[in-house]
Amino acid sequence: MSAMSLRSLTLPGVGTKYEFETDKGDTVAIFFTKTGTIQMYTLQKGCTTPSAAEMTPVEARRLGNILTGAIIEADQESVEIAFSALADLRVTIHSFLIPKTITGRSIEDLQIRAKTGATVIAVCRHDRNIVNPPPSFVFETGDAALVIGESDQIKMFEREIMVD
Amino acid sequence: MEGIVLALFLCLILALISKYLSVPAIPFYILAGVLLGKAGLGLVASDEISHFFSEMGLIFLLFFMGLGLKTERIAANRAAVLTSGIIDLNVNMIIGFIAAYMLGFSISESLIVASAFYISSTAMALTSLIENRKLMLREAETVIWLMVFEDLILIIFLALISAGNQNLIVFLLKILGVLAVLYAFAHYGKEFLISILDRDDELPILFTFAAVLTTASFSIYLGIPETMMVIALGVAFATTDPDAFEQHARPFKDVFLVVFFVFFGVTIDFSGGVNWYMITVICLLAIVSKLISGVLTGLFIHGSALSGLEIWGNTIARGEFSIAIAVLYGSPLVGTTIAAMVIVTSIIGSFIAKYSTALRKGILSLGRKKSPPHRVHLGR
Repeated sequence: MSAMSLRSLTLPGVGTKYEFETDKGDTVAIFFTKTGTIQMYTLQKGCTTPSAAEMTPVEARRLGNILTGAIIEADQESVEIAFSALADLRVTIHSFLIPKTITGRSIEDLQIRAKTGATVIAVCRHDRNIVNPPPSFVFETGDAALVIGESDQIKMFEREIMVD
Repeated sequence: MEGIVLALFLCLILALISKYLSVPAIPFYILAGVLLGKAGLGLVASDEISHFFSEMGLIFLLFFMGLGLKTERIAANRAAVLTSGIIDLNVNMIIGFIAAYMLGFSISESLIVASAFYISSTAMALTSLIENRKLMLREAETVIWLMVFEDLILIIFLALISAGNQNLIVFLLKILGVLAVLYAFAHYGKEFLISILDRDDELPILFTFAAVLTTASFSIYLGIPETMMVIALGVAFATTDPDAFEQHARPFKDVFLVVFFVFFGVTIDFSGGVNWYMITVICLLAIVSKLISGVLTGLFIHGSALSGLEIWGNTIARGEFSIAIAVLYGSPLVGTTIAAMVIVTSIIGSFIAKYSTALRKGILSLGRKKSPPHRVHLGR
């Protein structure tokens, strides 16, 4: 990562501001307002009037997910949660539709934990949820798996398991 | 009691309309009060209950203001706060005072009018910056810190004026004493306070309500006005978890403050005669004097008079604090004048804030037409 300087600033009565300038000289500013909405401003280099978008927290998370590259398909969703009290621990939870290539194989057989470090915490099958599936759990076509881990581990899961 | 219900119901409808049109609701609450009260249909009169509710509104407004005053942050931004703050204070106080005095108010009344004339509405300024999506403009930060400075001046003003005929030094020492006790409580009881605020049951909200009321009730024994007591409590509690306190105090503030605005309108009395000339002059000057202070601030801080237009647009509206001053210290005539000023400036302010960017562009292009440009501007 280049020396992008991110400024954060608390504005009394308004909320928190994050601002940074991109390598190309454009400016992006994000405001978490006390009203609960998130405003994002972008200012193109050389322009004087910024353009703004106001988002709800859910919309902002979606945007964040798109920007981190976590969402691959519209029906596969990813959420990143940060725990500021735990040394800024960040975990990502991602849903995947199980492809044909791994149907009939178990979690143990796929060596998910060993290969990727990520964990399958739930599987949705025929509108029923199986939470904490055991290692012997065998995937079927149409399953949707919920996987938890750091974002690198999730990416690894995507590369190693989903295209197996 | 029926009066309050009727007033609240009318306010609910007005709030819906004002949110829909995205204009500030405060002037409509006051107008609703004027319409229902003495000066209007006479349907609603203030009684003990409405008086208590109004008082709660004022107390929670000031407690909230105290919570927002984080002293270390103000110290870190001293230069920015001071320059704009002092321009704003001097220009508006002086114009407000001279105008009020020339219009026939006594010296003490003129001071009250000038203070209400000076202090912009923090709520409306911040809402306008957020809703008109102007937070990224460099002028936004100036406006935000200007509001903090005005809050500080209001506290000093409240302290000076409520000292009354007490010895000022003794009075200030008493306030410092209260502040020290509350600070010590917040400091040594921090863990206890946070453990209460973290609970999911009714305790956090009950504690917040009780703490504010208890502190206010001590004012009788100490000879310090409730207003100072609750501001001090807010400042002290701001050192623990101000966001949690804001969250738990907000419902009380929001509801009681509406009652406060309506019943301020209800008590307005035109029977003593209304001096429309005086009201018009004050309202016009209230708009013009913020233009002067805004342009000066723009020139000093951002090196641009046009920046001042943006600052002007967002600080024209007078609101909650002006009314608080009117309720606490104003005579009926002062109250009516301040009410009119709040209504006019908040409505005009909301429109100017909405179109100030267009106004700036208009002035810029007009300036270009007058003097032939040295270089050709491509695009916008």
